[in-house]
Amino acid sequence: MALPRAQAAAVLISVAGIGISIYLTAVHFAGVVAACPASGAINCEAVLASPYAVLAGSSVPTSDLGIAWFAVSAAVWTRPSGWVQVAWSAVGLVGVLGLVFVEIVLLGVICLWCTAAHALVLALMVIAVAART
Amino acid sequence: MTAKRAAPARKQPMRKPVAGTPAWVAPSAVVAGVALLVATFLIIRWYLTPAPPPPLSSDTTTVVVTQITTLPVSEFDSVGQGTANNLLKPVSGTPMTGVTGKPEVLYIGAEFCPYCAAQRWALIVALSRFGSFTGLKTTSSSSSDIFPNTPTFTFHAATYTSQYIDFRAVETSDRDQKPLETPTAAEQQVWTKYDPAGSIPFVDFGNRYAFSGATFSPDLLGGASWQAIADELRDPKSAQALAIVGSANLITAAICKMTSDQPATVCSSSTIQDLEKKLG
Repeated sequence: MALPRAQAAAVLISVAGIGISIYLTAVHFAGVVAACPASGAINCEAVLASPYAVLAGSSVPTSDLGIAWFAVSAAVWTRPSGWVQVAWSAVGLVGVLGLVFVEIVLLGVICLWCTAAHALVLALMVIAVAART
Repeated sequence: MTAKRAAPARKQPMRKPVAGTPAWVAPSAVVAGVALLVATFLIIRWYLTPAPPPPLSSDTTTVVVTQITTLPVSEFDSVGQGTANNLLKPVSGTPMTGVTGKPEVLYIGAEFCPYCAAQRWALIVALSRFGSFTGLKTTSSSSSDIFPNTPTFTFHAATYTSQYIDFRAVETSDRDQKPLETPTAAEQQVWTKYDPAGSIPFVDFGNRYAFSGATFSPDLLGGASWQAIADELRDPKSAQALAIVGSANLITAAICKMTSDQPATVCSSSTIQDLEKKLG
């Protein structure tokens, strides 16, 4: 059975988020520079080379959390929309706001790829809330 | 018996239809809330960003440069590698010599770059053990990049003389990212060969060692004046000395490898000898 349009869009957005997170993880482990400007206020290299690019006290890139979060998101959006999707999106949005705080306030630079992933989380939150109202 | 008459159906009072909250309100509130928080973050950042320090007068610059280029030997020995990360990698290529035929240290960086700003302190300290600079001027890294307004010096229009080595510096852009200097084709080739990503700062030691990036975080210098940093370098326990002097010792060890341990007054110290072994 075909998924309702909002649900299908949410699943696609989640898959796109997994793609971006996998790219950022690959860049981390390959030790190469992300395809992104590297000077001025937009500077993926500065963000991805910062101590915040890995989970505290480990060598696990923060983008791994993104893969996990988007994968769960894709799974929950295969079910009819309800409070589960709102709650999961809220969890993601809180995480995103924390990362945006790190980028803007602590580092003073923005990573374009990270921002793309953050925008997808916001889009999922909007879809989840819209589906409940 | 009379049939029970059915009670007439009571008319339900008509409920006045109440306009529900439009569906777009909640999603819009989410987006507006996020936008508000991001705007708050930007204001906090603007408030926390230190103002670019005004460049020092030439007299004061001379005093600061003299202070950081005449550190006592005991300072270098106390610090050792300090907290500097050893990014220097052995490379193999045709030994590189400079305009006077001596082994050349090549630096490629830019004035806007905060990592270059940090690394220049250590380069100046180390290179001054083999020769002397004239014409160094103070500047600071870009106001809109990471580690904004990191205080530093520029190699642009400065000259360096030494009886042991040549030093070639290329500052590709000014602090506003306007083009300043261009590496020669040969320099570009060396840079690409040893750092395909083209990161700055890039430093090559006569094609024997090379590194890209900063050996310590520019964060250590943020918000400090040139004079304050110069003063901290005299204290071997200060965070700035452990980073800058530690980095200078690594650079000194690499240069000593280029000069066959000349001058002995610099290269024969146990600190430098130990670091030379670490460099491999």
